[in-house]
Amino acid sequence: MTGGIVIKTKIIPALLTAGVLCAGQSALAHHPFAAEYDAEKPVTLTGTLSRMEWVNPHSWIYLDVKQPDGTVQKWTIESSGPGAMSRRGLKKTDFVAGMSLVVKGYQGRQKPAIANGRTLVLADGRSFYIGTVGGPNDGADK
Amino acid sequence: MPSILPALEWLEALAWATAIRESNWGYPIMETAHVASIVAFAGLVMVMDLRLVGLAFAQTPLTRIQRPLFPWQMAGFALSGVTGLLLFVVDPLRYYGNVFFRVKLVLLALAGFNALGFHLTIFRTVGRWDEDPLAPKTARLAGAVSLLFWAAIIVSGRLIASNWFD
Repeated sequence: MTGGIVIKTKIIPALLTAGVLCAGQSALAHHPFAAEYDAEKPVTLTGTLSRMEWVNPHSWIYLDVKQPDGTVQKWTIESSGPGAMSRRGLKKTDFVAGMSLVVKGYQGRQKPAIANGRTLVLADGRSFYIGTVGGPNDGADK
Repeated sequence: MPSILPALEWLEALAWATAIRESNWGYPIMETAHVASIVAFAGLVMVMDLRLVGLAFAQTPLTRIQRPLFPWQMAGFALSGVTGLLLFVVDPLRYYGNVFFRVKLVLLALAGFNALGFHLTIFRTVGRWDEDPLAPKTARLAGAVSLLFWAAIIVSGRLIASNWFD
């Protein structure tokens, strides 16, 4: 009887603690990069901006990328939220539909035309880090 | 049945909802306040639940723990409710389509029924078992269900951030 209570009082808090620790770990990665994007599949996308959603928690860049065969592939690129973009010197008005952009990032695991953006290069040559927390340590943020 | 989508599109287009959605600081502050108030609320509820199931403070009367905690639990719940509602209004279409958001709403309703049932039934007779180290079976069950539901609500809330099924 006493033994049972001791086991219960020790095991249940231990399980709760383990759960809290696991939750804390994934929270650090905001939403886990690895669950959605493949660090083994870097992509460099050159195209024209069709739309930019300057939104929390993460922004979305919609890029029309012309393929060698002349067809257009529509890419969706997840990037930093407004706060991080602003601190790195970007403004919502920097994004104008039809402008040419180069985005370096990593391809999605499930959907092929989705990427996690890391570096944005504007037509005037200025380059910005647009990555989110939890991406691979590739130096894009330097 | 008319679709709820036009109403959600109207919400999303509101000037103040758009301003928060595109804000540098407003959204992160709201999001942080939501998480912090949930920590306060759920943590204090779990103190009561652990007493109910008999895993903590067994020698202390239940009401001596619960009465002073109640206003703080309600304050945490109110702030998490308001910030949660705001987070929804700022991005309603995304949440509407998110499976974990729907799971969280169902779990919130179930946790609410559990708390309501507890207060309307077994808690009415607390005077008779307040000092018992082991609460009556119904009360212990309500405590265990509450622990499980609130843990599951926090997990599903956390998973809303993933775009897995978008």
